[in-house]
Amino acid sequence: MPDKFITLNNVSKSYTRGGETLKVLDQLQLSIARGDFVALMGPSGSGKTTILNLVGGLDSCDSGSVHVADSEVSAMSRSELPAWRSRHVGFVFQSFNLLPVLTALENVMLPLQLTPLSAAERKKQAAFALDIVGLSDRASHRPTQLSGGQEQRVAIARAIATDPAVIIADEPTGDLDRSSADEVLQILSRLNSELDKTILMVTHDLVAAKKAKRLLELDKGLLVEDQQQEA
Amino acid sequence: MQFPFRLAMRHLMARKARNGLTVLAISIAVFLLCFLIAVVQGMEEGIRSASSHRLVTQSAVSLFVDLPTSYQQKIDTIDGVHLTTKFRWFGAYYQERKNFFAQFAVDHPRFLDMYTKDIEIIEAVGGTTGPAARAAVQKAFSSDRRAAIIGVGLRDGERFGFQLGDTVPLIPSIYPRADGNAWEFVIVGIYRPLKARIPDTTMYIRADYINEAFDSGEALGSRGAGVYYVNTEESVPIDQVAKDIDALFANGPQRTQTITEAAFASFFVSAIGNLPLFLGTIGGAVLFSIFFSVVNTMMISGRQRLQESGILQALGFRPIVSTMLLIWEGLLISLLGGGIGILLALATEGSLIRIFAQNIQNYQISVPLMLLALGISALLGIVAGLAAGIPFLRSSPTDALRSSG
Repeated sequence: MPDKFITLNNVSKSYTRGGETLKVLDQLQLSIARGDFVALMGPSGSGKTTILNLVGGLDSCDSGSVHVADSEVSAMSRSELPAWRSRHVGFVFQSFNLLPVLTALENVMLPLQLTPLSAAERKKQAAFALDIVGLSDRASHRPTQLSGGQEQRVAIARAIATDPAVIIADEPTGDLDRSSADEVLQILSRLNSELDKTILMVTHDLVAAKKAKRLLELDKGLLVEDQQQEA
Repeated sequence: MQFPFRLAMRHLMARKARNGLTVLAISIAVFLLCFLIAVVQGMEEGIRSASSHRLVTQSAVSLFVDLPTSYQQKIDTIDGVHLTTKFRWFGAYYQERKNFFAQFAVDHPRFLDMYTKDIEIIEAVGGTTGPAARAAVQKAFSSDRRAAIIGVGLRDGERFGFQLGDTVPLIPSIYPRADGNAWEFVIVGIYRPLKARIPDTTMYIRADYINEAFDSGEALGSRGAGVYYVNTEESVPIDQVAKDIDALFANGPQRTQTITEAAFASFFVSAIGNLPLFLGTIGGAVLFSIFFSVVNTMMISGRQRLQESGILQALGFRPIVSTMLLIWEGLLISLLGGGIGILLALATEGSLIRIFAQNIQNYQISVPLMLLALGISALLGIVAGLAAGIPFLRSSPTDALRSSG
């Protein structure tokens, strides 16, 4: 591996639900290079989303360590993680997770509030992000006034608004029709190829997975397949 | 900490009906609170403003039993007594029963001298105003048996509009005239109260006119005094004077009970039970129920927005930002409701002063009261927002994101 931008060293993670302990990741060893586009596949409960949450600093591992760039995310306290997330990671969720009371532009501007930018600069940058995803003409629309594909594109604009190095996408096409899904995948590919974003994408969609440069398959918390894909 | 104020405002605007009803509930509660506190404060102010050198001597049996007029001369001889005057409830009305205002028969040579610090004569018959007005009124009060002094409220109020020189016919309800006609009084002076306990809608008439009418058979009733107001010398302990007065009449024919003017004023408040406590309890209960209503509204809002908290945390906001959003929203709702409630209290102040004119002389929505109401509103919003927002602090971003929202 030429560059270890994201590293999971012997990571284990268990969840306790209803008194039962379920081991989701077991001594996982994984490295991802800067600028890679990785698709994570596997059955439900195989640990795909857990990996995203650990890399994105939304969750902590039971043992092992998680490094992203020069930061040991797993060693950060709960109070340190939000600021780190705001600088380094952008999230794209299956159900878009836009705030319905805000317009598309305001949704994209939201993470920029955590930057030292002025209001005018935030607006300019958010408009630029919307332009990248081709939704400049929908800036003043509320999420309810947008199609599913458009909502997801706004969510992608929000994820890249602060120019993070890593984009974490949890089934970004799961709620979309084929056409909208293709549009979203195309944008993610462009972000990876043109803006050098490192993308981790969980998907159940083989078409979506084919867009990635690298395909990882998980089963019961173990990495069972790791293959580079043709562009 | 960067705070998304716009998000808070958008949430408030997004649920107009729910938030509007909450604002309405708070405004009514705050209005009631202001009203009740103003009533209690008005009553207490009446007691506080009582003279510390004035006693009231009444029958030991009941306030409704008259004292003999012969007592006055004896009270005057007691060491420490400066001046005394009879006070007798006259209880007549103008034209119709609903046009009632208080009238007291007093000793005209002494009344104004006893009330130098309590009332200011602002206008005397003949048009005299300023410092000379008091002497002019005293002269006019002494020269006509039917003379009367009225409070400025009877002149300026829409109901009466009495003017200097007017002859006011009053229909008796306690002391009927033998000829069946109304009593007639001529207004010779107008006063403005200097103390909160004195209403500006009272008429003072001459006690000798009434008593002589009884003596001559012109009217039905018996000579007497309802109570005696006694101004004491500052050099003599007021308690001692009170004891001496009661001791003087301990063997009859009518035993007396002499109390301070403040105690006398508080007697009227306590006569209808512990009104301040009663009103305070109502106010507290209203506030308490509204508090739970606001907390409930905010908690519903909080439950619906747990997922939003997860999204904000994923974007890099700390969990406390979501809590602060709810506190901010709660604060805005409660301050808006509180502000409307205060405006409502201010808007109705004039009408309520007129309604309470006879009973509560100092009903007032004061600045400290408004600040108190605003403070309580703010506290209500903060506590409600905090109660609803605390779960955000406890939930992890992943749990919050998984919630249904």
